[in-house]
Amino acid sequence: MPALSGDLVVFTIASLLAIGFALAMVVQKAPVRSVLSLVVTFFGLAIFSIQLAAPFVAVLQVFVYAGAILVLFLFVIMLLNLGQEAAEEDRRPLQKWLGLVAALALGGVLSGAALRAPTPKGMRPPAVVPLADEIPTIGRLLFSDYLLAFEALSFLLLVAAVGALLLSKRRFE
Amino acid sequence: MSPTLSAALEGAGKIAFVWGVVLAAMLPNLIWMERRVAGLIQDRPGPNRVGPFGLLQAFADVLKMFMKEDVVPLYADRVLHTLAPFILLVPSLTTFAVIPFGSKVPLFGREIPLVIADVNIGILYVFALASVGVYGLVLAGWASNNKFALMGGIRSSAQVISYELSMGLAAIATLMAAGSLRLVRVVEYQAGGTFLGFLPRWNCLTQPLGCVIFIVAAFAETNRVPFDLPEAEAELVAGYHTEYSGFRFGAFFMAEYLNLVASSMMMATLYFGGWSLPFLPSSGLLGGLLSIAVFFAKTMFFVFLFMWVRWTLPRFRFDQLMDLGWKALLPLSLLNLLWTGALILLKVI
Repeated sequence: MPALSGDLVVFTIASLLAIGFALAMVVQKAPVRSVLSLVVTFFGLAIFSIQLAAPFVAVLQVFVYAGAILVLFLFVIMLLNLGQEAAEEDRRPLQKWLGLVAALALGGVLSGAALRAPTPKGMRPPAVVPLADEIPTIGRLLFSDYLLAFEALSFLLLVAAVGALLLSKRRFE
Repeated sequence: MSPTLSAALEGAGKIAFVWGVVLAAMLPNLIWMERRVAGLIQDRPGPNRVGPFGLLQAFADVLKMFMKEDVVPLYADRVLHTLAPFILLVPSLTTFAVIPFGSKVPLFGREIPLVIADVNIGILYVFALASVGVYGLVLAGWASNNKFALMGGIRSSAQVISYELSMGLAAIATLMAAGSLRLVRVVEYQAGGTFLGFLPRWNCLTQPLGCVIFIVAAFAETNRVPFDLPEAEAELVAGYHTEYSGFRFGAFFMAEYLNLVASSMMMATLYFGGWSLPFLPSSGLLGGLLSIAVFFAKTMFFVFLFMWVRWTLPRFRFDQLMDLGWKALLPLSLLNLLWTGALILLKVI
């Protein structure tokens, strides 16, 4: 049993929030509420990143996922007005249970792997976020060691964007 | 006194100071100022009866807001309807944490940097909070169960996403010049050098294009005229806050003014040298206090700019807004990146 520290308290609260709202996202019937639950989950994950002394990752998590991508989700849900559909009767009872079994199996595999992993010794993340600039380091790595992967990924995203544009354009013509 | 305790006290003191200035000194007067500026521009006196020069008008306005009945529409989503104004309010209250409001003051034998939290992700933090704040508008629109409110919410999400991009790309150029995401470093960079040998090295002079893009995008981000389409009263009654009344309507109002102040502070910090002014000392107790005064004077100028524009320009149409964001500002902000990169490579700045 680790000693009760501020870190542990924050970690517990953040993980409870993340897990609780992840569950709420799946169980929730109204799509808008599902999206909002996911936002809270992302905030919980961002807190983990801050505790691991990676505030850059944390803020990107909030900025990109919670701030941009999920706003787009919300935008689409509101535009299509998906509110009514949620009230309909659940017509696929079997899939629900199969999904539960699959989720439990995946959770079992993941937690088994986590429990078997060797515990790192003397590698406690620093409690206080260091003020050194981590961004130049990330930038340097992206443009040296990971240049190929970085460029390939940006090309992939460009292809996806052009594809989406093409598909939506065809509908208008 | 232990270092932890004194650090905590120092932080609490700075939070109290910033919130004190913004919430107690600026906010009530901004309501008054907006109405007086409107009067000035429309060639009429504006509110001048409550107290000297009408200064107490804001208190009358706020009191009125508190006394009004708080109505929740029958078919509204009660939880989200209640939550929405506060989702908007919290990010606008926390933005101030990373903005440096002065240089340093020596107090009790220590140099106290005048910023609440000098984190190495400074500007990203501001952008992240701004993008979270939009949930407040969107949810207010959705939870009201009113088609005008819903239209307002949808418009605001589209608008904020479009303008966030050009705003971020414009701001990246200032970070390139300073070589850091810390806002303290951005201001120090602008204060510590000259441009072309005789001008202060303010980003508004080295990157005039980026400065204009940032200001235009900031108007869109704060939903101010000429980009106040989410609440366009001629088409959408009052947009996302159509179904709000009383205190919670007041919360929307407050958040709008807080965002306005925060945006003005960001303009001053990123492009107009923050707390620095050429030929003005910024060290020592006097210099520190002067730097605070300079910073808030610059902030107030941009607040005035917001009001000036509001009562001068008409509103854009929605397709014009989207065209401007995607077809004009976004390419121009990429051009600005190129320009700044060239200046850095040529060692001009």
